[in-house]
Amino acid sequence: MSMRKQTPSDFLKQIIGRPVVVKLNSGVDYRGVLACLDGYMNIAIEQTEEYVNGQLKNKYGDAFLRGNNVLYISTQKRKV
Amino acid sequence: SQPSTNTVEEPLDLIRLSLDERIYVKMRNDRELRGRLHAYDQHLNMILGDVEETVTTVEIDEETYEELYKSTKRNIPMLFVRGDGVVLVAPPLRVG
Repeated sequence: MSMRKQTPSDFLKQIIGRPVVVKLNSGVDYRGVLACLDGYMNIAIEQTEEYVNGQLKNKYGDAFLRGNNVLYISTQKRKV
Repeated sequence: SQPSTNTVEEPLDLIRLSLDERIYVKMRNDRELRGRLHAYDQHLNMILGDVEETVTTVEIDEETYEELYKSTKRNIPMLFVRGDGVVLVAPPLRVG
């Protein structure tokens, strides 16, 4: 996926269905498959893993993250 | 775009699927709730019934720097949760 000139909302539409890393303002990391999101950056993730200080702490089948806590959403290359 | 049954769902639509189900809520200030979701809105204000709240604290021993985790639980029959404290909402962990 090459980055051409695109708005943030174009990026958000593009990454649905991909594995992502969502970092919260608190520093907690969530990794999983992006199911959907909205303009407030509320996020729904599937097969979520929660990492605190780099350590896996929890797993959730589905998770909803409230957008105000989100620092960033990033794609991750799936390691085989 | 307005949500309808044909378009891609938004995250809040998926919370709607949890109505009347027991859910897990992670809040700010190291609090967690487990209860039955009776109502919610776009702010994530929620009405939860039959709730168990867990508050987790860490004490650090000044000499050994050991971290001592404590959690305090209490039960609340019916609770209004203000949405701005909500971090994460999930169905309770299922086995398998």
